[in-house]
Amino acid sequence: MTLNLNLNAHLPRRSVVALATAAAMAALLPGMASAKCADIAGKGDINIVGSSMPSVQHLAKEMETCNKAGVKVAIKITPEARVETERAFGSDGKSAFDAAIISGGLYSNLAAKGQLQPMTDLVAKYKTKFKIEDNMLVKSNGEVLAIAYQQNAQNLYYRKDIFDKLGLKAPTTYAEMLAAAAVIKAKEPSIDFPIAQTFAKGFDISTEFVNLYVGFGGKLFKAGTAQPAFNEEAGIKTIELMKSMLPYMTPNALASNSDDVMNQFQQGKAAMGVLWASRAARMDDPAASKIVGKMEFAAAPAVMPGGKSATHLWWDGVAMPKNLTNDRDVVFQVLMDALDEETTKAGNDSTIWIRSVYKPTRFGTGVVLSMKAGAPIWPTEPYVGLATGELGKMIPEALGGSMTPKQALDAAAVAYTKAATEKGFIK
Amino acid sequence: MKTRSFLQFVGPSVVMMMLLLAAPLVITFYLSVRNCAIEMEIVKVEESTPFGVKETVTQRAKMDAKGRAIQNCNFIGLDYYRKVLGLDDAAPIEGGPPPDVTSATKGIPAAGEKAGNEFLGALRFTLIYTFVTLPFVLVIGFLLALGVNSVSQRLKGVFITASLLPFIITPVVAALSIKWLFRDNGLVPYLLSHFGIQVFWMAQAWSARLLIVVYGVWHVVPFAFIVLYAGLQGVPQDALEAATIDGASRWQKMRYVTLPHLAPLIVFITLIHMMDAYRVFEPVIVLTQGAFTTSVQYLTYHILLQENNPYKASAAAVLTLIGIVFLLIPLLVKTWREQKQGV
Repeated sequence: MTLNLNLNAHLPRRSVVALATAAAMAALLPGMASAKCADIAGKGDINIVGSSMPSVQHLAKEMETCNKAGVKVAIKITPEARVETERAFGSDGKSAFDAAIISGGLYSNLAAKGQLQPMTDLVAKYKTKFKIEDNMLVKSNGEVLAIAYQQNAQNLYYRKDIFDKLGLKAPTTYAEMLAAAAVIKAKEPSIDFPIAQTFAKGFDISTEFVNLYVGFGGKLFKAGTAQPAFNEEAGIKTIELMKSMLPYMTPNALASNSDDVMNQFQQGKAAMGVLWASRAARMDDPAASKIVGKMEFAAAPAVMPGGKSATHLWWDGVAMPKNLTNDRDVVFQVLMDALDEETTKAGNDSTIWIRSVYKPTRFGTGVVLSMKAGAPIWPTEPYVGLATGELGKMIPEALGGSMTPKQALDAAAVAYTKAATEKGFIK
Repeated sequence: MKTRSFLQFVGPSVVMMMLLLAAPLVITFYLSVRNCAIEMEIVKVEESTPFGVKETVTQRAKMDAKGRAIQNCNFIGLDYYRKVLGLDDAAPIEGGPPPDVTSATKGIPAAGEKAGNEFLGALRFTLIYTFVTLPFVLVIGFLLALGVNSVSQRLKGVFITASLLPFIITPVVAALSIKWLFRDNGLVPYLLSHFGIQVFWMAQAWSARLLIVVYGVWHVVPFAFIVLYAGLQGVPQDALEAATIDGASRWQKMRYVTLPHLAPLIVFITLIHMMDAYRVFEPVIVLTQGAFTTSVQYLTYHILLQENNPYKASAAAVLTLIGIVFLLIPLLVKTWREQKQGV
């Protein structure tokens, strides 16, 4: 038998095109290889809502490959996901969404209002099939109300190259951080404002406050009540600490949100700061970053020597409402199918997954180290959001100098008390 | 016209207005005098999360027999209006004893004033924005219209398109571009630093407000331009020629022929711009996130979405409405009088 290797043979044009298209498709659409919903029992037209985080985008793409007859999955990605979820889950009629991707904070709100669908029996039923891990379960008094899939925290970012050059060590306390900033400001000509941190009015600054406040031993509320306790000594110390950071930060700090801080790092204008771990991968984005490979991550510094890492741990996950339209069993299967090991592996770098198959990249180091250094979970009381809302409005006044720390905290306490009374947390 | 034909013509319009304007207004007013709160009770909960197990004392809703949270809805009159205007100091809505949170300081009046002045502060900034942008919009729009009018026929199309661009761009995109131009490491600070000028645009009130005013003028000038340009096409040529024969200078021709002809259009632009500017929102939320520059629309949005209080937000919305009615009264009275005199 002769091997007819006629390399100059002219393949029919159509076959060439077909081959090329197939090759291109195989290259461009790896997800097609494993379509979702293959082994789901039941039918339904399922609607899910989520925010525009990279992991949600990844999950949406995976869920869209759902191709079982009778099961249709639509995921709505919107920046107003929190509001839409609260409206849908809280409505008197049926919920517009069968499930939502929620943060730990939103979970606290919804669980407090009793709007979440218990899933304990469904977890027991499908645990082996979808390999649901124990630390993915979010329970309230033993009842599973949500399944977590990712974690996030604000951790320390620092320019290892600059620190090595000046003989500095990664700071473990804020005092060390300020000392390092002073050295960098004096000796590194390319950096005017060594520290970049999210001090923008509103959510950002209130999160910074809470992160630092607990390190001073502060409690947000009086034990066993929703009465505010943040306008005391520890609160004043927190604001004083934040003020002491300002000379090392850009004067635009009070308008700096995560985008701005990320930008300052990427442009090489700042040398350290505490920022969300979910932004870490962008430090090495060659299209936007001038400092590829130079940023390292560590636990957020503590406010006092020997103290816990001054940051909080957040989780995101999926939950179903009590008033959902579709069959809860089918919806649960769809959700677990979307969060299986395969999806996690396919989207490994898009976030810090909770599943054990997640391979931690160096971008997740900061979160892991912060956890090891004792960072607590973000407070779970349902009235925390009201408190941070008022703090976020008043703290910039104290930092800008138009109010003393005590006045700003008192103002926030008064406003918070009004809001909490309106909502029924304070009688 | 027969009454029946009149009703047939006007009917659809009236029905739409009732459905989309009048009904929502009534509902908003209804919401603004009520408050609904879920009844909460203090409980001990064992919370289990990916980070461990914790027992906390927290609050949970009281459930009724059907497993739904119990809601208490009450009529509260003008309480939310007073709150939004900062006219109440310490007493919470439910009428309980004032909370003892500021025992160590005399700060209560100052605190209440500062927090309550949010609406008045927002109103003040909105009015500043409206009345500062207006003259610039009119003058620059007029100069632009004059300029494009005297350009050769071939290039007119190009210039008109270019002048209209700022109005066509989505407000959010436009506001973002301005933010990126002026923030740290943006193009403008970079260029200014070459002249030794260093301004941190978002860091102080005057610069943040200036940016929003600049955005406002830039965004609305095309509207004034296109209206006045159209008006310029209709300036009576014989009146202009007569003026030239009488020896009028360019400035006099402008003042005595062109501008009077354009007067109704200028009133029109003023009216439309005032109503639009009063609703300023996108630059506030995108450029400054409300720092130094809260507007009334932003305040209602903030109360609705951040504080999650649709009742208080309705009160803020009704107050906003009252504000615009006050603003428009002089113009509406003038128009009404003109109509009465028979145009």
